[in-house]
Amino acid sequence: MNLKKKLKSGEFVVLAEMETPRGVDISELVGNAQRLKGRVDAVVVPDMDCGAMRLSALAGAALMQQQGIESVIHVYGRDRNQMALQSDLLGAYVLGVRNLVVVSGEGISQCDHRKAKAVDDLDEMSILQMIRCLQQGLDLAGFELKGTPAFTTGCTLPACADEKAFEAAIEQVRRKIAAGAEYVVTAPIFNFEHSISCLKRAMSLGVPVIPTVLLLKSVGMARYIAVNEPGSMLSEALIARIRKAPDREEECLRIAAEIVAGLKGVAQGIKIQALGWEHRLPAVLDLAGI
Amino acid sequence: MITAERKPIQEIMNLVSPYKNLLLVGCNECVTVCSAGGRKEVALLSSALQVAFMKSGRIVHIQEMTLERQCDPEYIEQLVPHIDSVDAVLSLACGCGVQEIARRFKEKMVFPGVNTKFMGASERPGVWAERCQGCGDCLLGVTGGICPIARCSKRLQNGPCGGSSKGKCEIGPDVDCAWQLIWDRLKALGLQERYETLLPAKNWRNGRGGGPRKIVREDLM
Repeated sequence: MNLKKKLKSGEFVVLAEMETPRGVDISELVGNAQRLKGRVDAVVVPDMDCGAMRLSALAGAALMQQQGIESVIHVYGRDRNQMALQSDLLGAYVLGVRNLVVVSGEGISQCDHRKAKAVDDLDEMSILQMIRCLQQGLDLAGFELKGTPAFTTGCTLPACADEKAFEAAIEQVRRKIAAGAEYVVTAPIFNFEHSISCLKRAMSLGVPVIPTVLLLKSVGMARYIAVNEPGSMLSEALIARIRKAPDREEECLRIAAEIVAGLKGVAQGIKIQALGWEHRLPAVLDLAGI
Repeated sequence: MITAERKPIQEIMNLVSPYKNLLLVGCNECVTVCSAGGRKEVALLSSALQVAFMKSGRIVHIQEMTLERQCDPEYIEQLVPHIDSVDAVLSLACGCGVQEIARRFKEKMVFPGVNTKFMGASERPGVWAERCQGCGDCLLGVTGGICPIARCSKRLQNGPCGGSSKGKCEIGPDVDCAWQLIWDRLKALGLQERYETLLPAKNWRNGRGGGPRKIVREDLM
């Protein structure tokens, strides 16, 4: 059963995020993906995530399709204008990509190419409307398409530091759903108790909600997230747990697995984000019993 | 100067239609020079709005004022005696002025009466043309005083492209090819060798790439 059908039927879906390389050596990407084949429903290929220039999501997703693995790609407007976005989505479709997540993307000043110029032609809402337009057989200029693509399109719910921000974010997601989003991917979850109530409120919007589980790699990484992303709700207790563990890497895997297992009865799926530790994803799934 | 064009009257009417008492504020700087939002335009728009509203059976009271500069807090203070007696403000200044009024009078809705267009110069009476995009890293010293960022349709730093023909740009016969202008000027100055020097990829971080910009001059603070 493909991702679209699973999402529709209410079945639990498992997504794994895979970074593309900064270069053309795809052996690691393909190797890691092959190890996950049959264990995840789809591989999510971000497009230059965290503002780092990498091989394109489109190429990464095409590689997944070649391996017989369903793919999901990130779409955003920082680097492409509406013509390039539409052109790439048509390209993605003919290469077998059927799933999209419309994301916001890092601001250009946060990227590793600090002199670059942002495009920012379309925002997330406009991209969702653009996708709807393509699926109706027209491009944004009103020209008829020769062959119409059909995607399953998701949107994101960012991490929120307080109730006011969460309310605004939920309202924004509501608008994204009205614009065509069919599922929601949340920001990484570190505080299970806090997240459950937020997840339940997000689920009341009537589309599948897929929380992200970020695989922490070190005390330093956990500390960085706790300090710089107050919306993460990453607690001191969690940092202490990693610090005190005899095998910190193993503990990080266990933490991710516990969150994954905990979410199984709550959300309609999970997306595991490994940020370079994609080779450890099978271990996380093993520990989570998936 | 910052150039602007007045919005269509119907659009302005739609913006201010919920309000009965308006303060219509012009600016004596750039928008006066480009005849979009100075004292004269304030008077004209005020009359036009009142007539148009009257035709639709509505009486709207409009107070008129024109400030020396709307982008300067010092002059915005002159609105204080008037602001309480109005429901909303309609500004004919550029976007900077509209935002300064909104910043000072948080409880009042402020509407723009013009569309701010570009930083430009007057070519001849009634014609203004774009000259600067505020890229934050001025190239005019190497391009003979002609800006390829503002005046080349493709913002080429190493032009021209194949679309330059008889000194005109491919996008239209009325658009000069900026790189033809640059070449002609460098040649006239005997500085053709400058054309041979390739300009590196531009650092857009000095422009909007780095986010909203600010100039801080501690010596003036």
